[in-house]
This record gives sequence, structure tokens and C-alpha cells, in this order.
Amino acid sequence: MASNSATETRGPFKRLLAYALHDKKRLWQALLLLLIATAADVTAPLLIKVFLDDYVVPGNWQMDAIIWIGIAYIFFMLLTATTNYMQAVRLNVIAQGAVQTLREQVFAKVMRLPLSHFDHTPTGNMVSRITNDTESIKELYVNVVGSFIQNMMRIFGVIIAMAILDWQLMTICLLFVPVVAFLMWLYQRISAPLFHRARGLLSDINAKLHESIQGMRVVQLTSQQNRFRRNFSSLAEAHYQARRRNAHLDAWLLRPLVDLLQKLILAGLLFTFAYQSLDNPVEIGVIYAFVTYLGRFAEPLIEITQRLNLYQQAIVAGERVFQLLDTEVETTRTDDNARITKGKVEFGHIHFSYNDKQPVINDISFTIPAGEFHAIVGHTGSGKSTLTQLLLRFYQPQQGTIQIDDQPLNSFSETALRRAVGIVQQDPFIFNSSVRDNITLGQTINSQPIDESIIIEAAKQAGLHSHIERLPQGYDTILDERGSNLSTGQRQLLAMARALVHRPQILILDEATANIDSHTEAEIQQALMKLRGRVTLLVIAHRLSTIEKADEILVLHQGKVAQRGSHTALLNQRGIYQHLYQMQSMNLKDE
Amino acid sequence: MTILRKLGWFFRLYWKRYAIAFVALLMISCLAMVAPWITGQLVDAIANDTLIYERLVQEVGLLLSIGIVIYGLRVLWRRQLYGASFKLAALMRGKIYDHLTLMAPDFFQRHHTGDLMARATNDVTAVEMTAGEAILALFDGVMTGVAVLVMMVVMVSWKLTLLALLPWPIMGYFMWRFGHQMHDTFSEAQRQFSLLNDKTQESITGIRLIKAFGQQPQMERAYHDVTRDVSAANLAVAKVEAKYDPVIYLTVSTSFFLAVAGGAWLIYQDELTIGELTSFTMYLTFLIWPMFAYGWTLNLIERGSAAHKRIDELLQTTPTISDHGTRDSVESTHIDVSIKRFAYDEHSDVLHHIHFKIPPGSTFGIVGHTGSGKSTLIQLLLRMHEGSEAALCLGQHDIREYKLETLRRQFGLVPQDPFLFSVTIAENIALGCPEASLDDVRAAARLACIDDEILNFPEQYETLVGERGITLSGGQKQRIAIARALLIDPPVLILDDALSAVDLNTERQILARIKAARHGRSNIIVCHRLSAVLQADEIIVLRHGTIEERGRHTQLLQLNGWYAQMFRYQQIEAAVQHGE
Repeated sequence: MASNSATETRGPFKRLLAYALHDKKRLWQALLLLLIATAADVTAPLLIKVFLDDYVVPGNWQMDAIIWIGIAYIFFMLLTATTNYMQAVRLNVIAQGAVQTLREQVFAKVMRLPLSHFDHTPTGNMVSRITNDTESIKELYVNVVGSFIQNMMRIFGVIIAMAILDWQLMTICLLFVPVVAFLMWLYQRISAPLFHRARGLLSDINAKLHESIQGMRVVQLTSQQNRFRRNFSSLAEAHYQARRRNAHLDAWLLRPLVDLLQKLILAGLLFTFAYQSLDNPVEIGVIYAFVTYLGRFAEPLIEITQRLNLYQQAIVAGERVFQLLDTEVETTRTDDNARITKGKVEFGHIHFSYNDKQPVINDISFTIPAGEFHAIVGHTGSGKSTLTQLLLRFYQPQQGTIQIDDQPLNSFSETALRRAVGIVQQDPFIFNSSVRDNITLGQTINSQPIDESIIIEAAKQAGLHSHIERLPQGYDTILDERGSNLSTGQRQLLAMARALVHRPQILILDEATANIDSHTEAEIQQALMKLRGRVTLLVIAHRLSTIEKADEILVLHQGKVAQRGSHTALLNQRGIYQHLYQMQSMNLKDE
Repeated sequence: MTILRKLGWFFRLYWKRYAIAFVALLMISCLAMVAPWITGQLVDAIANDTLIYERLVQEVGLLLSIGIVIYGLRVLWRRQLYGASFKLAALMRGKIYDHLTLMAPDFFQRHHTGDLMARATNDVTAVEMTAGEAILALFDGVMTGVAVLVMMVVMVSWKLTLLALLPWPIMGYFMWRFGHQMHDTFSEAQRQFSLLNDKTQESITGIRLIKAFGQQPQMERAYHDVTRDVSAANLAVAKVEAKYDPVIYLTVSTSFFLAVAGGAWLIYQDELTIGELTSFTMYLTFLIWPMFAYGWTLNLIERGSAAHKRIDELLQTTPTISDHGTRDSVESTHIDVSIKRFAYDEHSDVLHHIHFKIPPGSTFGIVGHTGSGKSTLIQLLLRMHEGSEAALCLGQHDIREYKLETLRRQFGLVPQDPFLFSVTIAENIALGCPEASLDDVRAAARLACIDDEILNFPEQYETLVGERGITLSGGQKQRIAIARALLIDPPVLILDDALSAVDLNTERQILARIKAARHGRSNIIVCHRLSAVLQADEIIVLRHGTIEERGRHTQLLQLNGWYAQMFRYQQIEAAVQHGE
């Protein structure tokens, strides 16, 4: 990567610039204002020179002319200040717009990434790319591009002025340009991997923080605070070291070096000029002017190199953002008209593995006719939850087809599929908003907010209503991020209500009754029985009581279907089901 | 400026670095004056035709060596100063993290993950800028400024100096105003960044739900609003910042104007020579940088103090659970709980009138409805929360008398929703005692009935789990958490509904193995499934935060209350199943 980083960085830079071009009109305005500001800035000192040379030195006290010069000076002064301000505001508007667009794009992209991506990338790392990295990119538009253009214009002006004075001496000064350009190239080459490392570590810090905050309770309960503190501070230390190395590189190659170069050129100029003067008479005025111009020439170059680390930081951040943005997502051709109306589910010879090594699902086939109630049982790790994840299209099976209403699963659009398939998950996620919003998830029916009565009905069906009524603000109670003001069981009831409120054609319960007491479970079961016939039910449970009324029960063992049939049929077979069942009844009858 | 006082501890700690940087900067300012002087000498010599070759070489050589020395000094101060400020960032991040490890669960309920992350990254960066860039601008600006002012007064004219400095107080006033605006807008921008971080974090954590419910369009719309607010807040900062330059520019230009006009007047009055005026205007140009430095310093200081305040807020939060206990050993694991009343807030009681004892070596069951306060009770026992009307004793002493670490070492809790870190399975199990051997780890895993399954994983005990590794089922996670608790071999094991995702067969096996392995030590089992507490020495039934029934399994059946009803319900289920 380090070998051709120079060519690689051209990509992200161009792409980042393209974001600024979205707002062409404002960009042109900013550039025009910048031009005016620079011109006015150069003119004002000229007026002072004219005043001193033409009026003060000769003692020519012509009052009206002097007053005009004064007025002109004030005018240019105000013009510079105003145009500079306007230019800066415009550039900032462009930058903020670009960053906003970029953020929204990455976010939208992340939302569309397949779930397998989330299994393997720490949340904190992704957050860091979407927020911290985009934040650094802002600097590119505000501090790098604007300053680069302004300084280039200044350099141009000075070069022209020098050329008019003396060609040869200008050439010496011009030597500066390729040398500085080489320096910039060198810097970019060396610094890119260092910046990558530093930003990568910042992202790791984020990931570590994220994980630690989530797991702090475990850390505290096992008294491992000191070990985790040490781990974190060594990460912070590594980040410090990486940045220190960056700072050293900046120190050796940027401003101080350009400054040294300027001194070299000055020495060269003086030497050449003075050496000539040893034999021939020379014009003192020219050397004086050149020394002054050299300062003016070096200053913009120094400014540009000063911004170089911001540039590099933005480019590296950009690369990281684009890397996420460019993650390839397998797009399946969906048919916008495909609709799920009945809810028939069919799995045909499905093979699946999360990591291509360990098969989780091994040749499973089954059909659930619309409106029927099917259940899946099996030991933990037998692949039950994986089947639901496949039906939700979270993962793609390596072999086999899944069909709903006799159409391939992949032909449904995201909306059509999500509208028709509801799920109550094992570990429901709670958003930091009101109970109501957590049930409706901000969704609408025919662009109307979901009616209160529908919400309450769903909550009642899920057995949640009475719990909500006990909360201080009822349905308006704000739940916190990890749902700590609800018990695990209540969270699951909420998830149930959440699924019911959208009236799905297919409802999946993924061990949803695991943390609910038997009484509440009975209520849910009644609700399920009411749905029966209208909604296709796929229930995963290890409590056999939940599923004994199922039309068909699938017994999974090590990713294969070991047995299938109704509760009674399975009880009369020798096999896992009978065994599971006996274990449960024995548990209940002990003592 | 209070921010500089607040960072005093750091400046004192790294005063050497700052001193070196200061001296280097001072030397640079002095040496920098030499180059123009040499140039002047050479030009004069050329003009007077007194230049000889040797002298030329000498002077140019001097110029070059000064250039090299300045280069060295510049590299030096950068390394010292920026190195120090980066160190500050690392130290502050460590401080924040340390502080987080002291916080009780209620803190993490109040503060969102994304917000905490933003404070530890984004806000720390702003403070770091204060300790680096702002200090540099301050040193350098003040040094140059003072030197130039002295030259102006001594060498040229105090009258002209005074006149030229006339616009300065006006600039000072504006800077002061901008400082306030900067503080407010920057605080808001940092707050918005926190919200953005939070929203991003929440969306990624909740991705399964978002996908399952087809929420992407809604999330994208909501995210659009958040990013729009962030951009607006950042733009407000940029607008304030954009005012600094024009004001400084106007001040400098006005100074020039006044200097030239006044200078001309003084020349007219024969009080000043044209040469003196030229030097004076040259000195004025030297003042441009100190003025920008002044503005830049104020800007960064305001940013830094806004960010520091946000970090301070975090660091100043005192842990709701104080660790002032002194006892570091426990004589007996006799537990005596006496809770008159406990609530998270004033609105609703979570627990009331709960009294029970757990003698060492016994098994204690806690059952009850969803939301009846079972987990809260456990959290009180471990001092994750505490209340003034809740007295809990371990041995003969109140649990507050023990060091927090001592207290918690007595317990091995397996929580409802187990949390696994993204490290290997072995490291996850050995979380509580990292020095455990693989054999110990495996023994614990066997007790938790997970050893066989782990051996089936591609890298067995070295398999990575979580975000960077394989996906485990709910039941597998619970059993790894159980193994984690068993490895510590705690005096009191607490299973807080820790078997809910495990099937009944495995539950039975685990309970039997635990019973055999933990002879003589206490167990507390919280559950929904009554099957887990059949053999407990005492069972309490919680309902609406208080004990409704208590006793052994057989006694509870005779009471004919909720427990019996629930048990019968499960038996009827079994009977119906048999009848069919």
C-alpha cells in the first residue's frame, strides 16, 4: 500500500473535491470573492508606497490628492475585509454541505450493508468512520482548498513582478517551486501510512470505548477494572506514539524546512548578486526589491506546506470513508410489483454457513402453507435462529432457494418483504425514545401515523398494556438506550407488540417467550391462537408447551431436520422430540 | 483563561517540555532578527564598493549557519510542544476511561454510549489544541509583540506608537465578544457532534431490528435531520471564526493608515525623518503575526474551555456508589437482606418490605412475574445500586463496610443478557481470573455444558467471538457466561435468569453439575421456569416489588398461591400433553 500511495491519494482527493462541486454557483462566488479580496489586499500597500514616494519624500503636501489616497486606502481596506469574510462563509457553507452529503451517503450505505458485515466489524470502528473521519474531511474544503488557491494567486503575482525586474534572479527564486513540490510529494509519501495508522488507532479507541461501555457491568462485577484500564491506556499510548511520529515528520519536513530553503535561496541571491558586483556595478534597488519579494514569495509556500498535514489527514480520512462507501453489496434484482399476499413459506434444500467452514444449516427443506402454525425445536446451536435469519434475508444461503408465495425471496423489494414478515427477536433492541415510538418505530400506515387504538390493541395482544400503564408517563415514557427501565421480559413483550402493530402476513417468534413467566406466556399464546389462520406463524422455542398446538413441528439436530410431524405424531416416535419432551415433564414432576 | 489554570496539573507535570519550547522560540525570535541585519550590511557594502570576496563568503556562511540553527530549534520546539499536547490527549482519554470504570449502572443509563465516545475523542482533541497550538501562539505572539513594541518606542517615537496602537482596544473589545460567541457556538457544535455520534452508534447497534422492520428509509430521514443540525451548528462556529480575520485585518490596516498619516504629519512638523517612518512601518508589519496569534489563541482557548467543560462534567460525576469500605475480608457468606423501600426515582417503588436470610451453603430461589423486581434485588446485593432504606449485610457487616472489590469478589453473577467481549472464548471465560490455565477454563466450560460445542469450533478455545469473530446463539452465550462465573468459583453464585435461552435438558444437566461441584457454597437462582428452583432451600415469590409467598417448594405448593398456580399450570400442560 505504501508503495503507490502517491497515486492512490489522487483518487480520494478528486472524489472529495467533487463533493464541493455540487454547489457550483456558491463555489464560483467564493472564488470570485477570493480573487477580489486578494487583489484589494495587494493594492492597499501600493497606495501607501505611492503616498510616501510621491508626496512625503518630495515634501509635496497636496491636500486633496492626499485625501483621495486616504479614501481609496480605506475603501480597499474595507473591501478586503468584507470580501474575505464573505468568501470564508461561502467556503464553509460548501464544506458543511459536502460533509453532510458524505455522512448521509455513508450512513445510507451502512444501513444497506449485509448483516455479515456487522458481525465482523466493531461498531465503534464504523461509528468512527462515519463521524470522526468525516469531521476531518471538512478541513480539506475550508483550510486547504481555499488557502491553496489564495496562495497560488499570490505566488503568481510575485513571480510576474520579479520577472519584470530581473529574469535571471527570478529564475533563482523559481528554483524554490520544484524543490517545495518535491518536498510535498515526499511528505505525502512518507506521511500517508503514518496518518493511516493514527486514524486507525483512533478508530480502535472508539471501538474499545464502545465495547467497554456496553460491557462495563461485567468488568466491574469481575473486578477487572485495572486490567481494562491498562489495556485502554496502552491503546491511548499507541495512538500518542503514532501521532508523535506524525508531529516529528511534520517538524522535519514542513514549515522549518521550507523556511531553511528560503534562507538558502536568500543566501544564493545575495551571493550571486554580490559576486557580480565585485567586478561590475549593479543596481542596489534591484537586490532590495528581490529580497523583499523573496519574503513575499516564500510566505505563501510556507502557508501551503503548513496546511499539508491537514490535507493529508483529510485524504486519509477520505480514503477510510470511501472504503466503507465502496464496500460491495450484492444487489439482487427485485421486482417492485412482487407482493406477499398469502404468506406461504417454502425452504428448498438450504445449505448455509456463516464462515464457509462450519456448516450451520445442512440441506433443510420444508413448506408452511399460508396461515398455518409451524414450530422449530432443537438443542441450542442446532441452527434454529439461523433459519429465521435466512427467511428475513439477513444472510444468503450458499445453496438452495427460499420462496414466499411461490416467488423467490430475493424478488421482493425491501419494503414488500419487511411489511409482510414480522419478527419477535430473542434479544430485542430498544431505542432511546418513547414506548409508543418503540412500538410503531415511527412507521406509518398509508402515510398516517398509526392510530392510538391500534397501538393499544397490539400492546394488549402482547400482554404489554398493563405493564405500560404502570409506568409514570404510560406510552410516553422515554425508554433508555439499553432499555434498562424495562425488565428483560417486558422488553420481549414490547418486541411482540412491535411486530403485531404492523399486522404482518408472516410472524416469526424467535425464542420470544424464553424470558417470560408462564402466566404471561399463556396470554401471548392466546394472542397467537387468535392470529392462527390469518397469519402464517413460525415459532422457535424450547418450551414445548408453546408449540404443542402447532400444525407441524420440525426437530432440528446439527443443522438437519431430524424429525417432523405434529406433536402427537412426534410423541409416538422414538427420537429427539420424545426425549426433549420427557426431559421437560420430568423436570416438572421431580419431587 | 481559566482553562489554562485547569490544565495547570499538566503544565506542571511537563514543565520541562514547555520550558524548552519557550527557550527555543525565544532564541528563534532573536536569531531571526540577524538575517535582515546581514542583508543590510551586505547591501551597504555593495553600495559603498567596500565588499571583498572573503567578507562575502563569511557573511553568506553566517547567514546559512543561522538558517540551520533556526531549523534545528524549530524542529525542537515542535517536537516538545506538540509531543506534550498529544500526551495530554492520551492522559485525558485514560482519565475518562478510568472514571467510566468507577461508574455505577445508573450512570450508563443517563449517558448515551455515543455521547461518552464523542467526549473521549472529539472534545479531547479540542483541549489538546489548547495545550499545543494555543500555547504556541501565546508564547510566540507575546514575545514578538513585546519585542516589536519596545523597538517602536525606543527607536522611533512613542507618540507615533501610541497613535498606531489606537485601534487596538477596539479590536480587543471585538475579540472578547467573539470569544463569548465562540464559546457558545462551539459548545453547541460539540453537543451536536455527540448527538450525531449517538445516533450513528444507536443505528449500528440496532441494525438487526432496523433491517427486520425495513426501517432504513425512516432511519435515513432521521439521520438527515441530525446531520443537518450538526452542519448548522458547525457553520455557526465557522461564521464566528470568519469574523476574526477581517477584524484583525482592519485593525492592522487602520494602524498602518494612522502610522503613515501621523508619520507624514510629524515629518511635516520636522519631528520625524522619512527613514524613521520607513522603519516604523516595517515594525508594524512584524506586529501582524502577534495580532493573529492573539485572535487564534483566544479562539482556541474558547474552544478548549467549552470542550473541557464537557469532559469535566463527566469527570466530576461522583460515582453514586462510593467505595469507602475498609473491610477486605469476609468471615462468612451469611446474607441478611432487609429492604424497607427501594426506588430508582420518587415515582414508583420498585421493592418494598423484603426481608430474608441466606445461610452459607444454601440454595435460594427468587421467582416471580416479569418486572416484579427480581433483577433489582440482585443489583442491590452487588451494590450496583443502593438505597438509604435498604440494609443488606454480608457476614456480620453491612455491605457498605466492605471494599467494593472484596464485596464483589464474593459473588459470581451470570446476568440475564450475557455480554461477551470480542476476544477469544478462552479469554472470555477467564475474564475474572486471566491467569487461569486452559485446563481450568475447560473444567468450568464442562460444568456449563459448553465444552463439547467449543471444541467443535474451528479454532476451539482460541475462536474469536463477538464483533470480530463468530456469531454465537443466545444459549451458547449464556453458557459461556456461566462458565465465566464458575471459573472464579465464587462463595456465592448468582444465576439471574441465566438459563432462559438454554433448553430444559441442558438446564437440568448444568444445575446438577453445579450442585455437585459447589458443595458447601451458596447459590442464588432467579428464574421464570420453576424447574430451576425445585430443590432450593428457600424460595421467595416476588410480586409488585414485595414478597408474596415464601418457603420450600412443597410448602409453597400447600400455600396454594401464585407459585402453586404457576406450578399447576405447568403440570396441567404436562397432563394435557400426556392425555393426547
